[in-house]
Amino acid sequence: MRVVRIRDVFESMIRIRNVSFQLGAVRGSAVRFQLPSFDVEQGEAVALTGPSGCGKTTLINLIAGLRCPGQGEVHVSGVDLAALSPSQLDRHRGAHCGMVFQTFHLLAPFTAVENVAIGLRLGMRKNTSTRDHARELLQRVGLGKRLHARPAQLSVGERQRVAIARAIAGDAPILLADEPTGSLDPVTGLEVFNLLRKIAREDGRTLLVVTHDQTLASDMPRRFDCSGLVQHHAEAERKEPATS
Amino acid sequence: MSLLAMAWRYLLFRKVATMLTAGCIALGVALVCAVLALQNESEKALTRDAALYDLVAGGKGSPLQLVLSSVYHLDSPTGNIDFREYERIRRDSRVLWAAPVGLGDNYQGFRIVGTEEHFFDLPDRDGGRFFRLASGSVFKDPFEVVLGSQVATATGLGLGDSFSGTHGLVEVPGGEVHDDFPYTVSGILSPTGTAQDRAIFGTLESVWEIHETEERLHSAIQGSALLGDSQKRETTAILIRLKAPGLRLWMAEEIRENSEGIAAIPINEVLRFQRGMIAPVQRALLGISAIVVLVACLSALITLHQATDRRRRDIAILRSLGATRYEVATLIFLEGSLLTAGGVILGVMLGHTGLALAAGPVREATGLLLQAWRLPATELLAVSAIALCGAFASLFPAISCYRRTPIDDLAAVY
Repeated sequence: MRVVRIRDVFESMIRIRNVSFQLGAVRGSAVRFQLPSFDVEQGEAVALTGPSGCGKTTLINLIAGLRCPGQGEVHVSGVDLAALSPSQLDRHRGAHCGMVFQTFHLLAPFTAVENVAIGLRLGMRKNTSTRDHARELLQRVGLGKRLHARPAQLSVGERQRVAIARAIAGDAPILLADEPTGSLDPVTGLEVFNLLRKIAREDGRTLLVVTHDQTLASDMPRRFDCSGLVQHHAEAERKEPATS
Repeated sequence: MSLLAMAWRYLLFRKVATMLTAGCIALGVALVCAVLALQNESEKALTRDAALYDLVAGGKGSPLQLVLSSVYHLDSPTGNIDFREYERIRRDSRVLWAAPVGLGDNYQGFRIVGTEEHFFDLPDRDGGRFFRLASGSVFKDPFEVVLGSQVATATGLGLGDSFSGTHGLVEVPGGEVHDDFPYTVSGILSPTGTAQDRAIFGTLESVWEIHETEERLHSAIQGSALLGDSQKRETTAILIRLKAPGLRLWMAEEIRENSEGIAAIPINEVLRFQRGMIAPVQRALLGISAIVVLVACLSALITLHQATDRRRRDIAILRSLGATRYEVATLIFLEGSLLTAGGVILGVMLGHTGLALAAGPVREATGLLLQAWRLPATELLAVSAIALCGAFASLFPAISCYRRTPIDDLAAVY
């Protein structure tokens, strides 16, 4: 049985060292993701920028444990993700990483409050009192009157607010937002962006936001340019296939 | 929200597909239930009637025909047997109870059975009396009759009402009505759940008198000699209950040797009939039902597979929220199991409702009393097997979900 090592509490919230793995191959050339070093402290807000395909989403997935590197170390909340079994990794993700996506990814059969309650259940693994907590969270994101609306009945801005409420439902210390304003008009996008910042600041959560919007990125205390994380090598390397 | 509640909501979200698939399963299950219940009930009903008597003696012919005509009031009698044979049998020390059966007429399709007063003393297998009067009394005068419960309901006849029988055992248009010999209802029997509910019981004397008079009339018209002779009276059959069922074969052999008639053991004839004639048909029906169930299960599998394929995004979202592979696989498995369980429950209800609706016409046509809401063990086994098959079919999409990695499905919708 593998032992999960809980590191010192003062260690970075996210700590990545010498990560390298093959993402795939395009026209005979290997596509590799390489990141020598990346640290994010607790409560820090970071904008991940860079052109499309540069590896921003891959970095987010790496931190969430949705993708496992062939080489290197990824520590999240003091836990070495490589030491976790697949089930432990899923549970770690639910407990430590709240995810917000560009296309909201709400579950269509469920109401707003149910979508949040599902996030609560999976994040905290609790079955009781989740509804009340879900209501409070929706009120916090300004959707107190839209509790029982299904995703199809909500505007895109409202959907993203539900997604934010769901992401914070499990009390995850890290919020990973992958282009959260990408599907929104500039005004709504700014509102959603500010909401994310406000929640992260108030709760002391670590926030990583992937964005192409330079204005929003410039508003963040720290920007990390992901250009060059994904590299095309002429000779395909098949020794270390990407795992996910 | 529990995984079970989530699975239920997903089923409700795609109502049409869910209803169609559950409907397919229900149809197959209903067929299986109906066939098995019908098999069970018909077997029970047939043996219930047959178990009333240890032996039936009658004119030479098919033993099955003799049993069907005298016990179930179906089919034509084989012929007559000398009434003195009945008197001899009744005096036999091995006989617990014996009664003659004289057939010849009907009223609105219900057979008029000529017998004797002690016919109603027939003991049931628990030691009590098999026949109970719901109202009135047994016949005292030759032209008084006692109605089976179904006859009373169907004809609307009540105590003191009169009617005339029609010649023949089945109702035919223009049949010869014995207007000169009206019967009066003296009693009505309580339901027995056997073919006796469809009979009208009168005296054997009345049957003889009607038919001897008719024969005299015909002979007079034809100018021939009178045929009626009280010394040569006959009866259609003799119903016998022995003091011990072990005496059946011995007694039957004696009747065959000492008379010009035959003796049949009702339970043996009925079981032979059931296994030889009814069972193959039931097996064929069961085979067809099994194919329907198989197709329904495959349909459920396809529906689930398609639903799972369309829901790859949802599965990936759940995984991104922290759901484990085991949890998403359980969700899909529960969805399939709920779908199958719904179909099975609906099918059982449908099958038995169909039986309940058919019970009336079946009883009218054959006298078989179907207990539509009884679940025989074979049916419970079959239904459980179908439910297990459905659950097993749900494992395939569940395993497929278990094996998927969320990253591709999340990326696919970006």
